[in-house]
Amino acid sequence: MDSHASPSATHAHAHPELSFIRKYIFSEDHKIIGIQFLFTSIIFLGLGGILALLVRIQLAWPHAEIPIISGYFADNGGRIPESFYNMLFTMHASVMIFFVIIPFLTGAFGNFTIPLMIGAPDMAFPKLNMMSYWVLWPAFVLISFSFFVDGGAASSGWTAYPTLASLGMPAGQGFHSPAAPGSGHGQILWLLALLCVGVGSMMGSVNYITTIINMRAPGMTLYRMPMTIWAMFITAILQAFALPVLTVALFFQVLDKTLGTTFFLPDMVTIGNYGVDAGGGQPLLWQHLFWFYSHPAVYIMILPAMGMVSDIIATFSRRPLFGYRAMIYSIAGIAGLGFIVWGHHMFQSGMDPRLGTGFMIATIMIALPSAVKVFNWLGTIFRGNLQFTTPMLFALGFVSLFIIGGLSGIFMAATPVDIYIHDTYFIVAHIHYVLFASSLFGIFAGIYYWFPKMFGRMMNDNVGKVHFFLTFIFGNCTFFPMHMVGVMGLRRRIPDITAGALETNTLGLNEFMSVSALILGTVQFIFLANFFYSLFFGPRATRNPWNSNTLEWMTGDPVPGHGNFDQVPNVFHGPYVYGEMGEKDSCPQTEKGDGVLPLSSH
Amino acid sequence: MGNKAWSIVFGVVMLACFVGFAISPFVGWWRPEGRSTHSDDVDFLFDVILYITAFFFVLTEAILVAFMWKYAGTGDMKHPVSEKAEFPGMMKPLANLLHDQHRVELAWTFIPAVILLYIAFAQVETWANIKYASRNQVEDLSKNPYAAATGKALHHQIAVSARQFEWRMRYPSSARLKKWLAEPGESKSDHRSFGKVPQADDVLVVNELHVWQGYPVNVHLSTRDVIHSFNLPNFRVKQDALPGKLIPLWFTPKGSKDKSHNCVWDQTKNRYVDGINPDTGKHDPAFIYDIPCAELCGWGHYRMIGRVFVHKDQAQFQDWLAKAESYHRQRTGDR
Repeated sequence: MDSHASPSATHAHAHPELSFIRKYIFSEDHKIIGIQFLFTSIIFLGLGGILALLVRIQLAWPHAEIPIISGYFADNGGRIPESFYNMLFTMHASVMIFFVIIPFLTGAFGNFTIPLMIGAPDMAFPKLNMMSYWVLWPAFVLISFSFFVDGGAASSGWTAYPTLASLGMPAGQGFHSPAAPGSGHGQILWLLALLCVGVGSMMGSVNYITTIINMRAPGMTLYRMPMTIWAMFITAILQAFALPVLTVALFFQVLDKTLGTTFFLPDMVTIGNYGVDAGGGQPLLWQHLFWFYSHPAVYIMILPAMGMVSDIIATFSRRPLFGYRAMIYSIAGIAGLGFIVWGHHMFQSGMDPRLGTGFMIATIMIALPSAVKVFNWLGTIFRGNLQFTTPMLFALGFVSLFIIGGLSGIFMAATPVDIYIHDTYFIVAHIHYVLFASSLFGIFAGIYYWFPKMFGRMMNDNVGKVHFFLTFIFGNCTFFPMHMVGVMGLRRRIPDITAGALETNTLGLNEFMSVSALILGTVQFIFLANFFYSLFFGPRATRNPWNSNTLEWMTGDPVPGHGNFDQVPNVFHGPYVYGEMGEKDSCPQTEKGDGVLPLSSH
Repeated sequence: MGNKAWSIVFGVVMLACFVGFAISPFVGWWRPEGRSTHSDDVDFLFDVILYITAFFFVLTEAILVAFMWKYAGTGDMKHPVSEKAEFPGMMKPLANLLHDQHRVELAWTFIPAVILLYIAFAQVETWANIKYASRNQVEDLSKNPYAAATGKALHHQIAVSARQFEWRMRYPSSARLKKWLAEPGESKSDHRSFGKVPQADDVLVVNELHVWQGYPVNVHLSTRDVIHSFNLPNFRVKQDALPGKLIPLWFTPKGSKDKSHNCVWDQTKNRYVDGINPDTGKHDPAFIYDIPCAELCGWGHYRMIGRVFVHKDQAQFQDWLAKAESYHRQRTGDR
């Protein structure tokens, strides 16, 4: 602390004396914090992936012994119990959403890119930034620990609907749940973990908004910001307004489960022969509060990826991003509409169906800005000089698969059609095309793209292409048939698909999807091997290996130190001056461009 | 891999997705036949959306693949783009139209907007007719588009109470039902109170929803523990049961022209059996109408499955009701 002798000394090169712990563990440097988010997200991606594969194995071979862990279930013939299956998919979704996709996108890439791409030395509040990461550690501990408590981890779905999730024992009788084994201790730990994640995200968004508004380099006007930054900015605003509602809802449910309040508990609820005497609450209240956050959260999980993909596509097409302002307005439009569509998760919930009509129209109109974005990406590669590097392939894969995820959303937005497909695998197909095939493809694109800036080394491009090729093929094989089995009537969240008359017919397709999923999971080891090998042995990266225009590539060293820039950069034009300058292929934002800048440079 | 090869990879995978969906109806990867009077409308709307999205899927993916083919670069990052880059041959006539970026953007905003608004407003009537109480709780069923064709004056009343992990159905007694059917006008208030007020002579049956074809049904849905979802995929019906709420829903099994009945009296088993094809009289899985719970409700959620028995006419239903009633009385004593 006392090393900060004067304000001016805190800038740029003032930190050579930092210890290893201050530099790499309790770091205030946004880049290190971003990388910390990156590593923890990769670890949880592995955990979420293993949970997903166990789910897939159970779906395809419902009456077989579960491999590897069958020893734990000797009294069940080596097969996993139903409640254990419920825990698997609940924790798969919770881990992937709250510990993988959101930390990857807003935590890792938000932290890493924002100050670098706007030409700032660091975030506005470096200490708060450090805290936004470390407040996640209680969440990591709680969620990991919850697998080992009595009754197992949370098992009432990632949506945690009362009364299944919220029922508790009367005061003094412990924290078991009369409704389901995993809805006792595991559910309480789940709620507390999510509260910590929410607080961390909130700290992050405050920081992002402040940094982007106040700390842009001279000349970096709002309309000269790269699309990544616009997406992070709007995402942070979304998060700041939506998260308090989730926090309140989580807190209510914690109180319901521990102190016997009845926010979500109506009168006259009985489980078996066990009556709950209190009442007066509303189970539907949770759904409203939860989805008021969690629908915007869906956009929190895709908008940053859209921003990153826009930058990557423009860079590797060597073309200006088509319709820069339209892209911004589309993101803002998606975010704005995102606040008035939460009810589309509740069409069949018992909410007044007349509300459903309004929510439906708003929801279907969200397809419009999404379509505009797709057209703009297509417009960007039009007449481009496409460089099929690994990040570009993942970005194009994002576009291609987001089209599927976006179009399938229209089915469930349409209220009468939703009557049939609600709670079927059609919904599961949709969410995986948006979150796996889109968000995760965007994340992979981002990792391959910014890896040289993060670690000063290049990842192997050929191995990356193999990773992309196999992920693209087996990702589609895993998730596309889910549309069909959904149309056939396969419900979500069931451990034995041979129980129902319609569902039994889906066994063949389920086996196909599960085999594909196992291959898909295995393929990710190619990525891990490439990532960790390149971390230590990859070829040294140059300062600007992709010939990009944005500021993060203009730092003095390939991997800038704390403070980022040797001198404050001056910005002369927008980020997308590619392929329009005759002999010269690109013009970094810090160069004036000889006074002959084309129109698109604004 | 050559640069152009990537467009082929994308093209083949997207083509496989398209073909997969296109062949689905012909290889049995499709929805079961609709058995309610509103199911055709729901399926029609599904198909409308399917055709529109399929068109845009093909359009956008084809453009993506074509551009990836046409504009594949050399791999040399510094290769300058020729200012004279041409439109692909087929699109040349479009070149003049498209030279103004603003006009292009207006077009691809406005056209999808119109299509999306069409999709949105096309849903409104069907949704309202299926779900709105104002369209269904009417004194005169001829105002209800899905019940009007049946020419019936009253709904068939069933109360369904869900719990972990079964559906409990409550039917009016035979005597009460006969009174309703004989004097629909005078029994209206009794009829209307059925869902809210259980009576001592009600007939209770577990997991079997008995209706008869061509007659509109009104289910009063409740749950006593957690949220369940009353899901009749064959009838395109789905409604969550909420703790603390009594939620009405309506549907009409298809009538005599479009047979939907699926059960016959089985002398050897001494009960009505379902899953019977009305044309062949034989067991046929396509005529099993499950009621699988669609909202996660605990460990036994997957096997919380009831059955819909559609009787061929009112007489057969009343025969079943009388039998169920006498069985019920034997166990609970006369009331």
